[in-house]
Amino acid sequence: MNKKEYYENEYMPKMHRYGKLIGVLGVLAAFIPCIVLLVVFKAAPEWGKLPAAFLTGSATFGFLWFMEPIGYFNVLGPVGTYMAFLSGNISNMRVPCASMAQVSVDAEPGSEEGSLIATIGMAVSVLINVSVLTVGVILGSVILSKLPPSVTGALGYLLPALFGALLMQFGIKDVKYAVGMLAYCVILYVLIFKGAFAWVPPQISLSNWLPIISAVFLGIAFKLLTNKDKPKEEAPKEE
Amino acid sequence: MDAMQIANSIPMWVACAIPVGLIIFQAFLFMNKARQACNAIGYPDEKVKQAIKSSAITSIGPSLVILSGMLSLLITVGGPVGWMRLSLIGSVMFESIAAGIGTQQVGVTLGTDPMTPTALAMAVWTMVLCSIGWVIFATFSASRMEKIQHKITGGSTKRMAMISGAAIIGCFASFVGSHLVKFNAELGGFYFSKNAVAAILGALIMFVMLKVSAKNKKLAEWNLFIAMISAMILTAVLPIGK
Repeated sequence: MNKKEYYENEYMPKMHRYGKLIGVLGVLAAFIPCIVLLVVFKAAPEWGKLPAAFLTGSATFGFLWFMEPIGYFNVLGPVGTYMAFLSGNISNMRVPCASMAQVSVDAEPGSEEGSLIATIGMAVSVLINVSVLTVGVILGSVILSKLPPSVTGALGYLLPALFGALLMQFGIKDVKYAVGMLAYCVILYVLIFKGAFAWVPPQISLSNWLPIISAVFLGIAFKLLTNKDKPKEEAPKEE
Repeated sequence: MDAMQIANSIPMWVACAIPVGLIIFQAFLFMNKARQACNAIGYPDEKVKQAIKSSAITSIGPSLVILSGMLSLLITVGGPVGWMRLSLIGSVMFESIAAGIGTQQVGVTLGTDPMTPTALAMAVWTMVLCSIGWVIFATFSASRMEKIQHKITGGSTKRMAMISGAAIIGCFASFVGSHLVKFNAELGGFYFSKNAVAAILGALIMFVMLKVSAKNKKLAEWNLFIAMISAMILTAVLPIGK
């Protein structure tokens, strides 16, 4: 059996089964604390007001439930999608770790090896994420809250620094395309803040989904249209 | 019983440990299956180990950011729920907002008013109800999206690589864009933020690291870590940006 056959006929079907099963179990397991509050402590929510809370929450986040899985799919792949959406913290951990794992072994994103390496990288990031949180929660807020404000303030700059570094890591191999995409995103954010998209209904989370999903799909469309065989590209048209 | 005593009680720890355990189980299972597949297709084990190491190094910084985000949840919804929510489907931004939406319905402002058992239940139920949409949609659309992707690429690995490469850069460009463009009406509209400084410094230092480490694999492993940490510290120390 060759590599592609094994991957497509052995590995992937199995992962789809596990992914779906664990996804369903995860949804059910998420309710266990709710049930314990209810049964053990008789702490019930106000049932009449819960739908209003749910509706407010869905108005805020509901669009992201669909837009994020679609937007990230081409980065995460199917197996990564199962893992990333159950464990969360996608932009700040899953995507950086999966792609840095690929970089470290020169595995091409989208190839069979690339997907396997991304899965392994993502699993490691989940384990470290959970371990750090577990240690943190055991040490408790007592110790954590003793951190000087300069440290906690500085931590706020870690993610933008990470994203800048990651864009350089990947963009340096395709400079024109990366610069074009960044220019597109910057213009888009400016337009969003200027209210150019005020007509789009789910306003609250607009800046959370529109740039990423449009950048990913415009980028893919641009690459597919311009790269026939020899990669030769120009910056994408900015809006 | 006081709401925070309930929130930090043993039964709540046990209840939250189950979903966290499931996440750990999934990570181990997927990692093992992927390693098995690597073996089966003859992918060298040293490379797998290298990838594990690299991901571990990348994980440290972001984990600390998530940890600092958990701080506020510890105070509002207690240790177990904060710990679970940031391990399962969680994101720092989402959780506090969702919890606040829940408690608001029963007249408790998160972080200001004392928590009541009812408000705690509202917070936890709202966080859970509003987060499962992601998992449900992602879980049941993954194979469908794979089919669509397959149709677009016609099964060609080269086109797959092209798509993934384009998507990754698009993804990071949008993340960086969100930090470059900051808007605050009180500061007079658009302003040059510390976040923008951090993103630019991160990119510049990474550029230097990529050049310096071009011939040194051992150093290259630490590129991202060095770039991210030094850009963070410089941003905090330098008097540029608001």
